Amino acid sequence: MAAIIEMESVSFSYGSEAEHALDDISLRVEAGDFVGVIGPSGAGKSTLAACLSGAIPHHFTGELFGATRIDGTDTCEVTLTDIARIVGSVNQDIDAQMVASIVEDELLFGLENFGVDHADIERVMSEALDAVGIADLRHREIATLSGGQKQKVAIAAILALAPRVLVLDEPTAALDPVSSRMVFDILRELNRTKKITVIVIEQKVALLSEYCSRMLVMNAGRLELEGTPHEVFAHGDRLRAIGVDSPRTVRISNSLARDGLAVPTEPCLNVEEAYRLIRDTLSTVPGIGERAADEPEPSPHVPARPHAEGAEPVLTLRDVGFTYPNGGASVQDLSMTVYPGELVGIVGQNGAGKTTLTKLLNGLLRPSQGAVRIAGLDTRDTPVSTIAAHVATLFQNPDRQICKNTVLDEVAFGLELTGVDPSAARERARRVIKRFGLPATEAPFSLSRGQRQMVALAGVVVMEPDIVVLDEPTSGLDYRECMTVMETVRDMAEHGSAVVMVCHDMEVVSDFAERIVVMADGRILGRGPASDLFADRDLMARSSVTPPQVIDLAQRLAHDVSPAFSHITEVSDIVRTVKELMGRA
Amino acid sequence: MLNVIDYVPGDTLLHRLNPVTKLALAAAIIIATFLSDTYAALVGLLAFTLLLAVYAGVFGRLARLLKLLVPVALIMLVLQLIFVRSGETLFAFVTDAGLVTGGKACLRLLGVALPLVLMLMVTKLNDLANACVEQLHLPYKYAFTFTTALRFVPVFSQEMNAIIEAQTARGVAYDTNNPFKKMKLMLPLCVPLLISSVSKTDATALAAEQRGFYLRTRASSYKRYPIVGRDVVTLVVCVALIALGFVL
Repeated sequence: MAAIIEMESVSFSYGSEAEHALDDISLRVEAGDFVGVIGPSGAGKSTLAACLSGAIPHHFTGELFGATRIDGTDTCEVTLTDIARIVGSVNQDIDAQMVASIVEDELLFGLENFGVDHADIERVMSEALDAVGIADLRHREIATLSGGQKQKVAIAAILALAPRVLVLDEPTAALDPVSSRMVFDILRELNRTKKITVIVIEQKVALLSEYCSRMLVMNAGRLELEGTPHEVFAHGDRLRAIGVDSPRTVRISNSLARDGLAVPTEPCLNVEEAYRLIRDTLSTVPGIGERAADEPEPSPHVPARPHAEGAEPVLTLRDVGFTYPNGGASVQDLSMTVYPGELVGIVGQNGAGKTTLTKLLNGLLRPSQGAVRIAGLDTRDTPVSTIAAHVATLFQNPDRQICKNTVLDEVAFGLELTGVDPSAARERARRVIKRFGLPATEAPFSLSRGQRQMVALAGVVVMEPDIVVLDEPTSGLDYRECMTVMETVRDMAEHGSAVVMVCHDMEVVSDFAERIVVMADGRILGRGPASDLFADRDLMARSSVTPPQVIDLAQRLAHDVSPAFSHITEVSDIVRTVKELMGRA
Repeated sequence: MLNVIDYVPGDTLLHRLNPVTKLALAAAIIIATFLSDTYAALVGLLAFTLLLAVYAGVFGRLARLLKLLVPVALIMLVLQLIFVRSGETLFAFVTDAGLVTGGKACLRLLGVALPLVLMLMVTKLNDLANACVEQLHLPYKYAFTFTTALRFVPVFSQEMNAIIEAQTARGVAYDTNNPFKKMKLMLPLCVPLLISSVSKTDATALAAEQRGFYLRTRASSYKRYPIVGRDVVTLVVCVALIALGFVL
């Protein structure tokens, strides 16, 4: 097959002084491929996407070397519009991608511009809408759609132009797991039925590895690895060294292979593959699988933090209800208690009321029924600025939080607001900045996205709050940044802060939260130890939450292979249990 | 916060008029409001606008805007009362001439603000842009700029709200009642807002270009916006309105 895209020693820098964002990249993409691009932030993934879509050299300026050929034509020799006839691109910011206010007009825009025969427009438009399954949204206003729906509109609008290549830059960054999967299902369908070549940049490696046929791993502007997902993830250690996460099942199979426990075949990309590998490995062990446990063994005691013994709860919600005046996700009957030093995860689909709950905690919303008590204060008769001294919030988007000209001012700002003497505030801020290794005198907006999140986090840490509220603290961060943020948060919990965290990444929740609260439709469906609730299949299904891979795997193994696997939540425990069972043989 | 200029779907005559005609109608009402100088005409024009709103089923939405505008109009009235010193004093500093001109200024303010908003409520922005390109031969670039600017208003106000929420949660006392203090607290937020707006507009420009913005011509639009009978009749009404404004 012919290569639809060819890059030949392409280097690019956003200015003559700047470092190379792309450094001598050569690659070929065959027509019909489904290519996934992963890598830590700052690796040049978005720059690569810009090269492929023609935005480099036609929109962004800088120094470009080498040649990018799309369908045999050098992108420098044709206009952006001509490139767009072959390559359709979907950018990170969904809102900025839209050019119209009604879904139908959004699709019409490109069709009209490219001069599609008016007699065909109706047919093309309804085909594109059907292909992504949003025919019912045709006359809706885009502003009223959810993130997932908007993303589908963006894809439909590009699809209507019948591109041969789709380039998507983190299309699921703002979506919950269910919508993310839906977007990938659509992409797979387009790739299979319409033979559209798909190139997608993604942080969610576990999801991506299930869909793509080839993977490119980028690091520092270079192509580090390429191959099928199985080939790429066989290099788990190398990926970890450059800051790329592997799916947990890959870690399990790689560890087993390294310890010589399993036949070193290909890494397991999903729970099903890992399940088969371990089942087959253990099939030689006598007694395994014959007396499968119907009743799992009782839960080993979850290591409790010292809080529970007689400590006063720092946060209590009693039968809290809230309804927005003009509709929107309302919440009812929320009751929960959080003790100092606890790390509680809130999980559930988009629209389940998680964000409303966090706003009730930091006083941005006042309950219409029930009461929220924070460190002894009733939020209903306490000004938000007073609550702010007790509750610090880390928002999903650090840019909304940052408003000062230097990192030092920014970090000290929250303290000054709560009435701490400016020089003392700066002293404390300096200490935290030093611990985080941030540049104190730089302007926060000149830093990278990950560093800006760290600045915002430093602003939270410096407050030494009773309660920390985190709203999607890890979205948009790469694996290494995500771990730094979460370890800092855990550290705060160990120093006595109560942490309440809303997060879509169930692996992160299961790694760090000891308790979770499961929400759906504005209600709490369950709360308790994370490992127990994640193992409750019925609860997970009712709240549309996908349990973390390790817990899912452990549960299946406990049921079919050996009860020794029940209640395992970590990769190392699975490996250890397999080892022990093998030892018995 | 709901946007007052959001499109309200409907199938009334007002909805079905050519967007250019609607624009002309709004302009005619505004011009007539400026020209006329009697209470009867001013009240009549305002009532006409409100009746149109009732007919198009957007009165509720318009009333919300009215709620914001009435205090502004009242401030205008008070200012007029203070500054117009001619005529006989009725009580305190209020003169009869002041009351008359002040009242008219009030009505003018409302009469000028409402028609255009009403028209935007019953017209999709894309239709407006395409019709202006087709009928008024406006270059598409300008039409696109205008519609995009309007479309960004709610996007930016959402962004602003999110920023204010984040700052409130940090302890910035936006709940103060002192408007000057609030203003001073709001100013630093312009920086993050500006940064996010610039990057958003740049991304939109790129997205538009990647979908063939530069290929677009007058004939590109799939929907046609011909001037038909009902438009001609409305345009005659427009001329009549302006003439009425002259006379009264």
